[in-house]
Amino acid sequence: MIMVGHRPRPSPPHEAMQQKKAEDTDQKRPKFFINDHVDILIEILKHLDGPSLCVASCVCRLWCTIARNDSLWEHLCFRHVSSPAPSTVRPVVVALGGYKRLYMVCVRPVLSRLGHSDRVRRRVWTREVVQLSLSLFCVDYYERRLGDASASSLMFLCKPVNV
Amino acid sequence: MSLYSSCTSAASSAGSSVSSTTKTSEIDCLLAGAGYRVRSSDLRHVAQRLERLDAAMVNSPAEVSQLASDVVHYNPSDIASWVDSLLSEFNQTASLPSDLPELPELVVGPVLNQTVLAEDAWTDHDAPQHQQLNNQFPVMTAMEEDSGIRLVHVLLTCAESVQRGDLAFAGSLIEDMQSLLARVNTSCGIGKVAGYFIDALSLRIFTPQGVGFGGGVGLDAAYENEVLYHHFYEACPYLKFAHFTANQAILEAFDGHDCVHVVDFNLMHGLQWPALIQALALRPGGPPALRLTGIGPPSPDGRDSLREVGLRLSELARSVNVLFSFRGVAASRLEDVKPWMLQVRPKEAVAVNSIMQLHRLLGSEPSRNSPMEMVLGWIRNLNPKIMTVIEQEANHNQPGFLDRFTEALYYYSTMFDSLEACTLQPEKALAEIYIQREICNVVCCEGSARVERHEPLAKWRVRLGQAGFRPLHLGSNAFKQASMLLTLFSAEGYCVEEKEGCLTLGWHSRPLIAASAWEALALPDANSPATAPGIFVNPHSNPPVNSL
Repeated sequence: MIMVGHRPRPSPPHEAMQQKKAEDTDQKRPKFFINDHVDILIEILKHLDGPSLCVASCVCRLWCTIARNDSLWEHLCFRHVSSPAPSTVRPVVVALGGYKRLYMVCVRPVLSRLGHSDRVRRRVWTREVVQLSLSLFCVDYYERRLGDASASSLMFLCKPVNV
Repeated sequence: MSLYSSCTSAASSAGSSVSSTTKTSEIDCLLAGAGYRVRSSDLRHVAQRLERLDAAMVNSPAEVSQLASDVVHYNPSDIASWVDSLLSEFNQTASLPSDLPELPELVVGPVLNQTVLAEDAWTDHDAPQHQQLNNQFPVMTAMEEDSGIRLVHVLLTCAESVQRGDLAFAGSLIEDMQSLLARVNTSCGIGKVAGYFIDALSLRIFTPQGVGFGGGVGLDAAYENEVLYHHFYEACPYLKFAHFTANQAILEAFDGHDCVHVVDFNLMHGLQWPALIQALALRPGGPPALRLTGIGPPSPDGRDSLREVGLRLSELARSVNVLFSFRGVAASRLEDVKPWMLQVRPKEAVAVNSIMQLHRLLGSEPSRNSPMEMVLGWIRNLNPKIMTVIEQEANHNQPGFLDRFTEALYYYSTMFDSLEACTLQPEKALAEIYIQREICNVVCCEGSARVERHEPLAKWRVRLGQAGFRPLHLGSNAFKQASMLLTLFSAEGYCVEEKEGCLTLGWHSRPLIAASAWEALALPDANSPATAPGIFVNPHSNPPVNSL
C-alpha cells in the first residue's frame, strides 16, 4: 500500500508521499496512504503478534511511535482472555513497567512454555495465567528495585530480550 | 585441609603400632578361615586383580563360560596366583586393555579387621591418576555405579558406628569413603551428595561438640544466609511454590476485610510480598490497608536490613496505590519474639506466615512450656484469620542418629537431583551451598545448635490440632496456580499433589515441601471446662496492646 515517489533523488518515503499526494490531487486519482489514517493503522497493528509488532516498529518513524504505544501491547497481552481485564489492572501494570515489558518479560515466555507443555491442551489464556504473569511481573519489578543487577528471578522463563 | 592431615597422622601412628606387631609375610587370618592362603602383604595386589577380573567379566561374559569349562586350576586356595592366571587367560581371549593404571586403594568391605586397613592404608591418594580413570573406558561405568552403591553402604555404616559411639572406626571409614569418592563422578548424582555427607560426618566426628554449623551462628552468617536463600529461591521452585501458595491462601482469607496485617516469621528480602501487594491492589472492591510485620535476625554493623526491605516494599505498594505500613522486629530466635512486639490492632484481620521456621522451635525434649507450645499459644491468642505453614516434608527430628542420617541422605539426594536441571550460575552453586548448610546442621549438630528439625506434615497436623488450630483447605485456585508455576520450570520431574487440603511439591513422586493453612479455633470461655489442660494458659502474658 506504500507507493513509491517518482523523484529521482532518494527521499524519506513520507515526504515523497506528501509530494506525490500534492501532485496527484490535481489528477484526481484516488490514492490511499495508510500513514494518513492512523486509527486504521492502529487497528491493523492490533492484530499482529509480538514479533511482527517489533518488526513493524522498524518500518518508519510513525510506525515506531505507534508501536511504542503501550495500549497496543495491552491489547496483545489480553487478546486471548475471555473477559476483559478490569480497569484497575492498567495503572498497576503501568506502575510496574508497562505492558510492553509485561509482554516481553512474562507473557510471551509463559505463553510459549504453556504451549509446549503437554499438560495444557488449549492455548487460551485463562484468568489464572494472567494473574500468575502479573505476579511474576511484580516480583521482577521488585527485584530490580532491590538493586539486584541480575534480577534473575524470571530467568527460569527465558533470557530477557531487549527490544 | 588441616582437618584431614591431622586425622591422617593420628591414624597412621595407630596404624604403624599395629603393623609393628604383625609380620608382613604372615598369612591373613580371616581369609585363612575361609580356606584361602593369601599373604597380608599381597592383599592389596590380590584385591586389585580381583577387581580387574570382575570388570573384565562384566565386559565379556562369553569368555567367562569358556574359562569355566576350559581352564584348569591347580591351586585355587592360593588366590593370588589363581587370579593372575585367570587374568592372563582373559588377556589372551578378551580385548582388555593391558595398560590399565593401578587401581586405587579399595575398601574390601567392613568385614575385614582393622589390620588390613592399617597397612599401607594411608598412602597418598594419587589424584590425577584417579581423575583419568573416570574418563576412560566403558568398563569403568560399571565400577562407578558399583562405587556409588558402595559409597552409600559405607556412609550408612559410618553413621551407624557414630550412633554406637565408635568414633575411631567411623573415622577410618571416612578415609575409605574419600578414596571411593575419587572413583565416582562428583559433579553430579550420588557422588556430589555423598561428598557433602562425608564432609558433614567428618565435621561431626573430628570436631568437638557444641560448635554450631549451618544454624546461623554469628551476625555475618545471617547476611550470608540471606544471599544463599535468595539464590535458592531462584535456582529451584520450592520457595516460589511456598510463596505463591501462601499468598493465595492469605488473599482468600482476607476477602472482605479492609484492614489486614501480615506477620512474616522470616522476612529475608521480602520476596514473597510484592505478589501479595499486587494481588491486593487488583482485588475487586479495591485494596485494603495492609500492614506487614517482618521478623528477622538483627543485622550487623548498624545496618537495618529489615527497614531497608520495608522501604522497598512501601515503594512498591505506593506505586500500585495500596496503603501500606511496615514494622520490623529483630530477633535471633523465634522464641524471643513476644506478641506485644507485633502491635496487633483489635479490628484487623491477621495472617501469620511461617516458611520453614516453626521446626526451629522443636527442642529435643517435649515438655510443658516448650518454645513450640509458647509460640503456638501466643499465635492462637492473636486469633489470626489464617496461619500459613510451609515446612520441609521430611523426618529429620528422629532421636536415633542413623535413622535421621538415612532419611536426610534420601531427602537431600532427591533435592539435589531436582537441582540438576537448573542451568543458572551462580544461582545453582549458591543454592547447593544453602542446602549443604542444612545438611550440616542435621548431621553435625545436637541440642539447641540443631535447628533444622524437620518433621512431616502428619506430625504437624497433630501438633497444630492439639494447639487449637483447625486446618483450612487450600482451594483449587492454589493448586492450579502451583501446577502452572511448575510447568514454567524447565525440568519435567516436579509434581504437585493435594492431600487433605494441603499441597506438596515434590520431585518424581517424593514430596519435598508441604504447604498447609490453619485457622485458630474459637478460644474457650472462662466458664466452659478447659478442653486441654495447660495448652491455652499462657504464662508469658503480654502487656496490654497499645490501641494506637
